[in-house]
Amino acid sequence: MRLDVRGEICPYPMMRTVEALGRLAPGEVLEVLTDHPPALATIPWEAARRGFAVEVESVGPGQWRLTLRPAGGSVDPARAVQEVLRKAGGVG
Amino acid sequence: MVWKLRRPILIGFGPAALGLGVLLLVAPTAPALGFWWLAGLLMGFILQRGRLCFASAFRDLFLNGSGQTMRAVLAGLMVATLGFGPLMARMVPDPALGLLPPRAHVWPLGPNVLVGGLLFGVGMVLAGGCVSGTLYRIGEGYLASLVTLFGILIGLEGAAFSWNWWWLNGMARAPLVWLPAYAGHLGAWLINLGVLGGLFLLTHWWEARRGVPALALPRPPGPPALTFGQRLGALWQSLFGRAWPAALAGAALGLLNIAAFAFDHPLGVTGELAGWSGRLFGLLGLRPGPLMGLERFSGCNLVAEADAPVVSEGFMLDAGLIFGAFTAAGLASEFKLRVPRRPRRYLQSLAGGILLGYGAGIALGCTIGAFFSAIPSLGLNGWLFGIGLLGGAWVGVRLIRILA
Repeated sequence: MRLDVRGEICPYPMMRTVEALGRLAPGEVLEVLTDHPPALATIPWEAARRGFAVEVESVGPGQWRLTLRPAGGSVDPARAVQEVLRKAGGVG
Repeated sequence: MVWKLRRPILIGFGPAALGLGVLLLVAPTAPALGFWWLAGLLMGFILQRGRLCFASAFRDLFLNGSGQTMRAVLAGLMVATLGFGPLMARMVPDPALGLLPPRAHVWPLGPNVLVGGLLFGVGMVLAGGCVSGTLYRIGEGYLASLVTLFGILIGLEGAAFSWNWWWLNGMARAPLVWLPAYAGHLGAWLINLGVLGGLFLLTHWWEARRGVPALALPRPPGPPALTFGQRLGALWQSLFGRAWPAALAGAALGLLNIAAFAFDHPLGVTGELAGWSGRLFGLLGLRPGPLMGLERFSGCNLVAEADAPVVSEGFMLDAGLIFGAFTAAGLASEFKLRVPRRPRRYLQSLAGGILLGYGAGIALGCTIGAFFSAIPSLGLNGWLFGIGLLGGAWVGVRLIRILA
């Protein structure tokens, strides 16, 4: 799924990403386009809590693409976090 | 590497040179204006690079249970307290005599402080930033923040018009509670540091209770820095490639506040905006008339600055803040014109701004002046405003969920 939250004010980039994560099909990848710098910290954090690893990529001045991938099939939250920490690369 | 630097050179180094140029031009003839310009530049830089947003500090406690930004604010308050205490002890050697340090932010402990904090708390969550947050985001290119600023000016004018009501209903008889007058300098200083430290631990308890993991996401390993050029590149990356650790930014802002107080008075950004508001609405013939009790606020001219010269110390601080944030965003390649696409965000930003302005107007300051500078001044008013902010943020989180 793709989500474009450019232009949104704080904290909607994060809130709308979290909401979209809830609508993903199992195993689906979410791509978020944002121009809100604080979201580079809040989205990976919220994603990690939900078992997603995040890659951050700069796509022009003040714009980033975040790719949220399910980290693994773990159901235990503590292990999911471990897994995300192991796999989370490119956190801005 | 070279092409990557072209944009920072244009909209980063250019403004940086201009900012320093203004400093060199102003400082020799008007040292005070130079100081506040420099303080503004540094403040904008710190807020932008550290993403130090007071609104998110309060809001995130309720929005997602995170206490991370609040801990950064608490770290800044502790650093500022460390410096403010000795400064005030030098100004007022015997605190039991009833004298107050002249420019400290100790203000009447009236219902206006709590109500102002509540309204301000709702407003900052609604607008997605407090007054200092709005100013630094203007520097980053957020159009919505300009709308919020306009709302703040409207709110401040409203506060000026209802000032006398608030004065007659509580403020006039409200006590000035300065902790050292009761507990002595050392006692008050230790109590303040102890309470701040306790709150620091409380945010961890809050996170643990809500099952929020203490997630320190790993930073990607950069390329190995072998040559001098590569090392410079790595240094640049840690300054402008990613955000500064929030607690570091909080501590830096605390140090800046100590420097400001040692120079003359603690930081405060809203008093100047009250001057802008008074001038703007004065042009339209809207003048609130004489305001009662202003002689009690030697340190704060929140509603009295309409007659001050345009280029004042406060102007240099606020303009410097916006320009410093613009420079930092340019150097970090983060400047961008951000235009909200949903019409309701403009209304939300305006309404949030009006609440911010009105709340700051009746409470005599914002998250900087009435909170970040008041708590280290060891005045109880800072704590009361903080309680209001917390309650307001709780209400605000409910509102932004509805407006999603």
